[in-house]
Order: sequence, then C-alpha cells, then structure tokens
Amino acid sequence: MFQTLAYGILNGLLYSIIALGISLVFGVMRYLNIAHGSLIILGSYGSLYLFRFGIDPFVSIPILMISLFLAGIALFELLYSNFVDLVEGLRVQKSLLVSFGLMLVIDNGATLIWTSDEKSITPFYSGMSFELFKGFHVPVIGLAGGVLAILVILALHLFFTRTYFGKSVIAVSQDPEAASLMGVNVKRAFLISFGLSVCLGAIPSVLVGLQAFSPSVGIQWFNKGIIVVMLGGLGNIYGVFPAGLFLGIVEAVSVFFFGAPYREITGLVIFVLVLILFPRGLFGKIPE
Amino acid sequence: MKKLLLILLIVFLISLPLVVKSQYILSLMITLFIYVVLAESWNLLGGYTGQVSLGHGAFFGVGALVTRLLWINKIPILLSLPLGGIGAALLAAIVGIPCFRMRSAYFPIGTLALSMIALLTVSNVFISAGALSPQLLKSYEIFSRYYLALFIVLLSILTIHYLVRSRPGLAIVAIRDNEKAAAAIGIKTLKYKTLALLTSTFLAGLAGGIYAYQHVSYYYDAPFDLTWSFTAPLTTFIGGISTIAGPIVGSLCFLALSEIFAVTLGQVHVLIFGFCFILIVLFLPGGLLSMKTETLKNIRKRIEKAKVDS
Repeated sequence: MFQTLAYGILNGLLYSIIALGISLVFGVMRYLNIAHGSLIILGSYGSLYLFRFGIDPFVSIPILMISLFLAGIALFELLYSNFVDLVEGLRVQKSLLVSFGLMLVIDNGATLIWTSDEKSITPFYSGMSFELFKGFHVPVIGLAGGVLAILVILALHLFFTRTYFGKSVIAVSQDPEAASLMGVNVKRAFLISFGLSVCLGAIPSVLVGLQAFSPSVGIQWFNKGIIVVMLGGLGNIYGVFPAGLFLGIVEAVSVFFFGAPYREITGLVIFVLVLILFPRGLFGKIPE
Repeated sequence: MKKLLLILLIVFLISLPLVVKSQYILSLMITLFIYVVLAESWNLLGGYTGQVSLGHGAFFGVGALVTRLLWINKIPILLSLPLGGIGAALLAAIVGIPCFRMRSAYFPIGTLALSMIALLTVSNVFISAGALSPQLLKSYEIFSRYYLALFIVLLSILTIHYLVRSRPGLAIVAIRDNEKAAAAIGIKTLKYKTLALLTSTFLAGLAGGIYAYQHVSYYYDAPFDLTWSFTAPLTTFIGGISTIAGPIVGSLCFLALSEIFAVTLGQVHVLIFGFCFILIVLFLPGGLLSMKTETLKNIRKRIEKAKVDS
C-alpha cells in the first residue's frame, strides 16, 4: 500500500508540472493551449536525439528549456499575438482553436518524420530503484523527476512573489487593464508567460521520454494536465500542486483495486464527477 | 436559379447508384455523407450555438455502438438507427448539460475528456471485432445503405436549416453572440443551449448509425477514435462555419485529400488540414466559402483608398 502511494505521489508530481504549464498560460492570459502535450512530446524527441549524441537526459533539460522557451516565444509571435486585445471568452475560444490546429500539425508532422512507433530513452539507470526499507522501493527516475518538479514549482513561486517582473505578471493575471495603467507592458508579460509555460514542458519532456512516447500520446498528457488544472480550479495557478498529487494517488489506488486498464478511466471519471459536483475545482478559490 | 441547382444536385445524387455501379465510388459517397452529417451536427453546436465540442466522436461512437448492437440482434435498421441517435443524445444530456453551466472553456475540455472515457471504456469492454451474422452478410447490398445515408443527410440539413431560422434558432444565435445580453432580454439560455446540444448529438448519433450499418466488420472502438472528434471541427471551419454549405464543402475537400494521399503518405491530409485550419482561424474566419466576398471586399477597399489618395 505504501508502495502504491509512493508511485502515486511521484506520478502526481509529473502531472502537476504538466498542469503548471497549462495553468500558467490560462491563469495569466486566459489562453487554452491544447498543443501543450504535443510540444512536450517534441521535447521528448529532442531529448532522444541529444541522448544519442551521448548527453544524459537530465543534463539535456537546460538545453531543452532554452530551445522550448525560444520555440514558445516564436509560436506566440506567429500565432497567438493577435488575440491579446480580445475579450476573455473570445480569447479562450480563438486560442483553443489555433492550438488545436497546431496540435494536429505537430502530431501529424511528427508521425511523418519519426513514424508512429513507440520510442523511449534508455540510459543505464532506467528501471533502477533502491530499497528504502523492507519491501518499499523508490524508482530512481521517478524520484529525480519528483525532486525536479518540486524545485521548479518553488522557483516559480519565488519568481512570482519576489521579483518585480513576476509580480507584474501576477498583476496582469488579476486585471490586465489596471496593470497596463500602472505601466506594465501587458504584451510582454503575455509573451514571457507563454515562453515560460512551454519551457516548463522540458521537465515532463524528459520524464515522459524516459517512459515511452509516440506522436499520438501528446493529447493524452495534455488531458492529464488539463484534468489537474480543472481539479485545482481553472485560473488558480497554485491549485495544480495538490490537485496533481490527488489525481496521482487516486489513479495509483484505482490500479491497486481495479487493475491497470481502468487507470485512465478512473482519472477521467473523477474529472467529470468533479466538473458536475464542484464546478470550481476541488481547490479553487477564484470566483467566476 | 439556386433552387434549381439544388434540385438538380439532389436528383443527381438519387440517380447516381442507377448509373454508377462501382462499389468503391458508392461506399466513398456513403463515407462523404457520414462526414457531412457529422460536420453539420457539429456546426449546429459549434457554429450556431458557439459551444465548441472537441468530443463529437463520443456521440458518433455511441450512435454506432447502439445501432450496431441492436441491428445484429435482429432489430430492423429503421428502428435501431433512431435509437442510436437517442442513445447519443442521452449521453449528451448526462454530461453536456453540467458543462453548460460553466465558463466557456469547460465545454470543449469536458467533451474531449468524455470522448477519451468513451474510447477507453469501449476498447476495454468490447475486445473482439463486431462481424455480421451469415444471414445479414448474405443480404448485404450497398444500395439500401446509400439511400439511407442520403436520406439522413437531407434530414439533417433540412433540420438545421429550418431550426436556425425558427424562433428557437434565433434564440440560439443570440446566445452565441452575447449570452449575458440574451439572458437579459428573457431568453432561457440553458434551455436553448440544451435544445441545440440534443439535436446536434442526435444527428451525430445517426451518422454513427450509418457507419455501423455500412461496415461489414470493424472493431467496436473504431468510431470512438479521436480522429472523428477532430475532423468535424476541421471540415466545418475550412468550409465555412455557421453556414449550411460550409461543412459540405469542407468534407468534400477533406475526403478528396485523404483519398489522394491515402496510398502514398498516409495521414498527411490531416497535417495539411491542420495547417489550413490555423490559417483560416487567423485570417479568414468565414472559411473557404467567404473567400470570394472577402477578396472582393479587399479589392474594393484598395480601390477606394487609391481614389482617396489621388
């Protein structure tokens, strides 16, 4: 049972970090980026290539972060910058549609280039685990990923509460008009948040890459992320952390009771139930 | 003139199987009809009501599943087809209506999650492929399928055409344009959105029913595949959203592209369509149908500007 919980927590941290990217974009600028999962998978391919050149997947994270950040900024300038001035509802819808098209392009382009075969990064430590006490194993990769996820969440928290620019981003998320009256460059805040969101995908890129990935799984990881975002309350950036852990643990427990095939379904069913019963998410604070 | 063309088109479609005997072309036409019904039903919800659904495949799949199961258990197709539609509408009522109570982003995501639940559940429960019994296989012929599909296409187009021009239809469009203003002048928004949702999913279920009736053997989770959810908005947007002709034009282009590339490059038509989709959302929100008027407008603007400058 402890073992199940441990796996659940480690998976939950992975979900949280995926959700954080989606939530950042949604919380700050009310954009819904469906292509987030596909961008993560692109990162996984990048990490696989770097691994073939002899670079360890965890070392490749900073390289991926920089390239994904630049990719995010380019995508924002190319596709998303037209919607900055729209009202909130339209912004959600337009960004959703554009990212939907982007997702199709990335997924099908990736299938053309790399075929739809399942691939995986396999360094010497993949699958290794150590025994903490009798009968309780901790997987090395999962642990490293979990620690990274916590570090990144902490770093982001410090960025938003301690730095001038981070505070201005929070101001934009609360009221873009008032923020711009106070001299905040709203468009730049959007640009950087979008870049940061895509850049945060580098960690799940590597963690997913160490498991198994193919061009078609992007949407599944996005789905995991968005479920966590909604459980945590749409627009509430800090909600993703408890919500991710919650989903991870619930999934692990459901595998324990019902078996692996129904693992995905439990998560989705919980999502729909929460949507019906607690429309503002389990940990949501922001009123509609 | 327009009416005459329409009647000619319908006569052409009715007489097609009498002239063309090729099974390939007829089954291609049935596939086109399925795409058109699915896209039209999506258009009612996404175009006229403004509720973008990313999981229309779930309703399509439920329609196919219910129709198929009833039909191979010896219930006549004319009864099991509408029952499939009702099944799809029921699912929509259970899941879609709660999503409607919330902000705009919940509905697309809720439906996307729904279609994934449906796909995973069905592929876990029905593992084998659903083949026909020998009797049904013996009586299989393509003409009845063609005409049934044609009938459903006409039915769905007429339904949507008259619905959006009726009083409830005007209410639905008003909700899309401004939900708060619509509610303020006394339109019961939830009621009309539900009406659009149920009609749309019923039609999607019928499209699924045709799929189930057309195919001799397929895995039960095939109609639940996410590509069905994705083609409907793709074709509608590319043809022209919130028009009757848009989904038809879009479906034609989509099917033609997929047939051209099917042998050589596989899924590349989705890549091309995804790319066009982005361009259309960004630069041509009216879709291909509005291209002529948009270009004319641009040219006229330029001429005006040139005049003013000189």
